[in-house]
Amino acid sequence: MIPHDILTLYSAKMLEYGIAVLFLFLFIPFWRYVQGPAKAPALATATSRTPVATAAEWFLTPADRLFHRGHAWLMGGDDGLVTVGLDDFAAKLVGPLSRVSLPAVGASVGQGEQAWRLMAADGRSVDMLSPVDGTVVALNPALAASPDLAERDPYGDGWLVKVRPSRLRANRINLMAGRAVHRWMEEAAAGLRGHVAPGLGALAQDGGAPVAGMARAIDPEGWDRLAATFLLTAEEGPDA
Amino acid sequence: MSSPTTASAATSRNWANDKLFLGLSIWDYLKSLATPGNFIAGLIMAIGLPLMAYRFIFGLGAATNLSQTNPWGIWIGFDLLSGVALAAGGYTLATSVYIFGLDKYHAVVRPAVLTGFLGYLFAVLGLAADLGRPWNLPVPIVYSFGGPSVMFEIAWCVVLYLTVLFMEFLPPIFEWLGWPKARLRAVRMTIGLTVFGVMLSTLHQSSLGGLFLMAPTKLHPLWYSPFIPAYFFISSIAAGLSMVIVESALSHRAFQSRADHHADVDGIALGLARGASIVLFAYFFVKLQGIADGGRWAMLGTPYGYWFLFEMLGFILLPSMLFAYGARHSHVTLVRWTAAWTVLGIVVNRLNVSVIAMNWNVPDRYIPSFMEVWISITLVTLGVSTFKWIVNRMPVLKAHPEYPDSASH
Repeated sequence: MIPHDILTLYSAKMLEYGIAVLFLFLFIPFWRYVQGPAKAPALATATSRTPVATAAEWFLTPADRLFHRGHAWLMGGDDGLVTVGLDDFAAKLVGPLSRVSLPAVGASVGQGEQAWRLMAADGRSVDMLSPVDGTVVALNPALAASPDLAERDPYGDGWLVKVRPSRLRANRINLMAGRAVHRWMEEAAAGLRGHVAPGLGALAQDGGAPVAGMARAIDPEGWDRLAATFLLTAEEGPDA
Repeated sequence: MSSPTTASAATSRNWANDKLFLGLSIWDYLKSLATPGNFIAGLIMAIGLPLMAYRFIFGLGAATNLSQTNPWGIWIGFDLLSGVALAAGGYTLATSVYIFGLDKYHAVVRPAVLTGFLGYLFAVLGLAADLGRPWNLPVPIVYSFGGPSVMFEIAWCVVLYLTVLFMEFLPPIFEWLGWPKARLRAVRMTIGLTVFGVMLSTLHQSSLGGLFLMAPTKLHPLWYSPFIPAYFFISSIAAGLSMVIVESALSHRAFQSRADHHADVDGIALGLARGASIVLFAYFFVKLQGIADGGRWAMLGTPYGYWFLFEMLGFILLPSMLFAYGARHSHVTLVRWTAAWTVLGIVVNRLNVSVIAMNWNVPDRYIPSFMEVWISITLVTLGVSTFKWIVNRMPVLKAHPEYPDSASH
């Protein structure tokens, strides 16, 4: 290059900035392409059949599930579908179930929106929220005959529905995994203890494990409202 | 008479049988060596080792085509520059696992560190062959401190890093010898050694490129750039990752009885491919920046330009895209072939810089002699044989049964 040819220098600089900007623009789609489809890194697959359950306080939270704050879980599968169920906390909170009212196959569900209803033996019911956006493609056939499966084996045979997710990457932001689940479950357990005796604080240090139908044991009259508070479906009114 | 001496002699014979001859008697062990692979390796060495002796006895002039105009040949371009670049898997993997906590890659850290160590060791042997007075090799370490020299920095870095790699590989050696206390001490040094190792690698991988900053008139302008230290460093990462993909595929096939069948070799290869793809993508643009910075566009239309473009598109951009495609679609075979292609590309790059595009405008062109080529092949064969010898004895490809977590150290 001729040293005093200042215009040549400027055009070279312009080109260099251009290449740098081009690189940054191309890098984003390239990065996304290399990282692959959204579901791959976010979800464990259903082939990992034996969940490593860790007891956060009293409740099991298998490490291979993603949890939603409404106490529902989901797990990805090889077929692009996700399996959805209620977690151990919800199962023990609501207790013996007479029926689980599931959405119809083909129905749309939305993350954070009411999706199914747990019916107790006394005729009262509690709604629960879907952890994911998508279309329901299958229901658990075993639940119709024995709805208590959802309570006895909430992470296994008691799954509720299979959903074809529509925007899993966006939904993933509102789901918890790993240690976050542990902390959240401990908070939920602490909240439950506060309800046992609001004025006295924790009283469960005697080692007693929670029983099915905790909400009913705490408040026989308004147990459904109490349960709905924990399952985040209580906003609609006192009789929700 | 049965005495303690006899007993200890028997013990040491058992020890030798157990540790050195894989539990076989010496005769059975020798018989087990009669394989086609060993035969070829033996043949290469049977010719190569006397050639090496010839070179040291009669000098460089008798054995090589090197001259005052072309003092650096394939022993520098291939054995040293390519060897060091391809040995970069050691620091890349150790840093990923121990510093960034990417536990998924634990299973390949030990083979990567071993490959790194042997890569450097044989690079230094290649250097010793190349130096006119190899006995002066320790001089920069012992008394002649040429502070401002790039060579001085490289000498120190390579000596220190070779030591670091050896120390990083001590845990499997101690597991093999059955020294748990020494092993524990070695394991405790892991983080410190890894940090030191990545510092040294950053320094000398780039300094090897820095050597060519001193030859702006000799190196073809398309390869010469003030950014050449950065080129060498960035490409060493892609070289190291590709080498680990190739090496883990080959060794898990060759040493099936010694490998950990639970290790997710395919998953690891795909993960490494993702990394290599992104590094090569960035490397391509940094190289492009060098062309723009030097205003070399017009030269791309010359024969050297075509060769340069072939390197840029065929050995950088193409493997980057193939790695990306393979990683996205979990195409492990494609990833492995791409890794082998990238390894070749790195060798071509180092040879371009140090041999092919060096002295491009001088009539006296260098073509390596038969002895130079054969000695290079002999060094590679020695490296592979050493790797094999170690993997057959020490817990490299899978954890030692007494230290089930040992693959993580």
